[in-house]
Amino acid sequence: MVNLIKNEWMKIFKRPGTYVMIALLIIVTAILGAFFKYQEKGPDVVDNHWEQTLIQENDALNRQMKQSSSKVEQQFFKKEIAINEYRIKHHISPHEQYNVWSFVKNASDLIVLTGLFTIIISAGIVASEFSWGTIKLLLIRPINRTKILTSKYITVILFALFLLAILFIFSTLLGAVLFGMPEQTVSYLNYYKGHVTEQNIVVHLLMYYGLSSIDMIMLTTMAFMISSVFRNSSLAIGLSIFLLFTGGQFTALISLKYSWAKYILFANTDLMQYVEGTPMVEGMTMPFSILMLLVYFIVFQLLAFLTFKKRDVAA
Amino acid sequence: MESIVELKNVSKVMKGRTIIDDISFKVNKGEVFGFLGPNGAGKTTTIRMIVGLIGITSGDITIGGYSIKTDFEAAVGHVGAIVENPEMYKFLTGYQNLIHYARMSRGITKEKIAETVKLVGLEDRINDRVKTYSLGMRQRLGLAQCLLHDPEVLILDEPTNGLDPAGIREIRDYIRLLAREKNMAVIVSSHLLTEMEMMCDRIGIIQNGKLMDVQQVKEFINTAEVMFELEVTPSETALSIVKSTYPNVQAGLSRNGITVGLSKQEIPRLVKQLAKEEIQIYGIKETVKTLEDRFLEVTGEKGGTQRG
Repeated sequence: MVNLIKNEWMKIFKRPGTYVMIALLIIVTAILGAFFKYQEKGPDVVDNHWEQTLIQENDALNRQMKQSSSKVEQQFFKKEIAINEYRIKHHISPHEQYNVWSFVKNASDLIVLTGLFTIIISAGIVASEFSWGTIKLLLIRPINRTKILTSKYITVILFALFLLAILFIFSTLLGAVLFGMPEQTVSYLNYYKGHVTEQNIVVHLLMYYGLSSIDMIMLTTMAFMISSVFRNSSLAIGLSIFLLFTGGQFTALISLKYSWAKYILFANTDLMQYVEGTPMVEGMTMPFSILMLLVYFIVFQLLAFLTFKKRDVAA
Repeated sequence: MESIVELKNVSKVMKGRTIIDDISFKVNKGEVFGFLGPNGAGKTTTIRMIVGLIGITSGDITIGGYSIKTDFEAAVGHVGAIVENPEMYKFLTGYQNLIHYARMSRGITKEKIAETVKLVGLEDRINDRVKTYSLGMRQRLGLAQCLLHDPEVLILDEPTNGLDPAGIREIRDYIRLLAREKNMAVIVSSHLLTEMEMMCDRIGIIQNGKLMDVQQVKEFINTAEVMFELEVTPSETALSIVKSTYPNVQAGLSRNGITVGLSKQEIPRLVKQLAKEEIQIYGIKETVKTLEDRFLEVTGEKGGTQRG
C-alpha cells in the first residue's frame, strides 16, 4: 500500500500544475498579509476605560435582544453579552494588538482555496488514468482494484493535509514577520452552551482548521466518487467546486422554509456551529451532524468503490 | 507441451449483445499464439478478458492454474501485457514509468530494471520524458514494462500497430526470441496476416466473436493448393473451355485472365486445348495461395454458412 501511495504521490508531483497550485496558495496568502499590514497602519486608539464601554455595550445589546424576535439574533446577542461579561470579570481587554494569530485566523479563509485545489486533484486522480489510457496498464498488476482505489483516496487526503500544512505554516511565519508575536500568551474566548471558557489560541486555531476542512473533505470525497463513477474529471471538478462555493448558501435558504434542510450535506459540514454559535436548523445536534456526515461519506465511498470494481475497461 | 493459459467456454455479453461466444483454447509454454481476425471480431475483448480488464459473463480463464475471476492477483502475476497502444505517463520519464510499475509487483530490484532497459535498448533515452519518445520507443518501453517481473505469459495486442518496417521487424524478432529462450507463452493479436505468418506457431481465427479455427501456421499455409494463373484473351471463352474440359476443377476469372486449380502435369494439355480454340496465351504463372487467401476463405466460408 505504501508503494501505491508513493506512486500516486509521484504522479501528482511530477506535474507542473501541482506547483502552480502551491505557488498560488502562497501568493494569495502573501497578498492577504500585505493587505492586513496596510490596514493595520493608522493610530492605535487605546481605550483605557474599556470596561466602562463594555458595560454600556451590554446594556445596549440587552435592549436590542428584548426587541428582537429572531432566535438567531437573540442567540448572537446572548453570546456577545456573555463574552463581554467574561472580559470585565477577568480583566481581558478586547483591544488586542493584531498579531500573528489574528492573521492565521484571517488567513484560514483560504482553506476554501486548498479545498478547490484538492478537488481538482481528486477529480483527476481516477478520471485521468482513463483519459490517459494508463488505466489498462495500471489494472493488470497483481493488485486488486480495491487496493488501487484506496491508495488513490488516501493520497488525495494526504494532499489535502499537505496544502493545509503549507497554509498554516506559511501564514504563521508570514504573520510572525509582519505582525510580530503577541507580548503575552493570548487566549481565545470560547462560548459554548452559555459558558465562556478560555482556550489556548494555537489549539483553537488547529481545531478551527480541522473543523473548517470538513467541507473540503466531503466535497473532495464527492469529486472522487464522481471521478470514479463517470470517469469524467471536468464534471467532477465543476459540480464539486460549484457546491463548494454555493452549497452553504443554498442550504441556508432552504432551511428558512423547510426543516428537511437538515438532511442536506451542507447543513452538517460546519461543525463549528455547535462549538460556537447556533445550528442552522433548530433541533440539530453535533451527533446528528456527525452521523449525517458519516452517512454521506459511506454512500460516496460505496458508489466509488462498487463502480470501480465492477467496471469493464473497454475503450 | 504444457499449457499455461486456458480459456474454457468463455462468453461475454454486453448490453444484451453477445460479443464473445463460447471460446475455448489453450496456449502452451514456449509458443507464439496468434489471434487473428478482422476489426471488431472480438480479439481485443478476448485479450482484455484474459488480463481481467473486462469481466467474464460465463466460462472461465485460468493462467498458470489460477482463475482470473476468483484468484486475480495470483493469475495476473504471471502475465505481462500491452493492451492496444502502450500508454505511459507522458509527464514522467521512461525510468519513472518503470519504477511506477516495478513498485506494483513484488521483488523487482533496481538491477532488474536496468537489465530490462538494456534488453529493449532504451539506455540512452530512459531518463527523458516519455512525451519526447517516438512511437517505436514507446512500444519498446511498453515491452520493458511487461518484462519487468519475468512473466510466463506475454500478451501483446496489435504489437506492430503504427510501427515502421524496421520497428515491426525488431518486435517480431524479439517475440520469437522470448518464446524460444525464456520459454514464454506469447499471445499476439493482429489483423495483419503476413505479420502473423512470420511471428506465430499457431493461429486462432476469430470472427463475429466465435473462434473459427485453430491451426499450426505451417499446416495452415501448406493445405493451400497451388493455383495457376493464365494470362489469356478472351478470358470468358477460355473459362468456359476450362469448365467444360475439367468440370471438377476450381476455376475463375482473374484480373488478366483466368485462374485454375489444376496440377502441374495437366497444364500442357490445357494449353494445347486453348491454343486449338484460338485463345491468345501471353503467360502462365504458378501462384501459391497466401495466408490471406486462406484467411478470407476460412472466415468467408464459415461466416457465410453461418449467416445463410
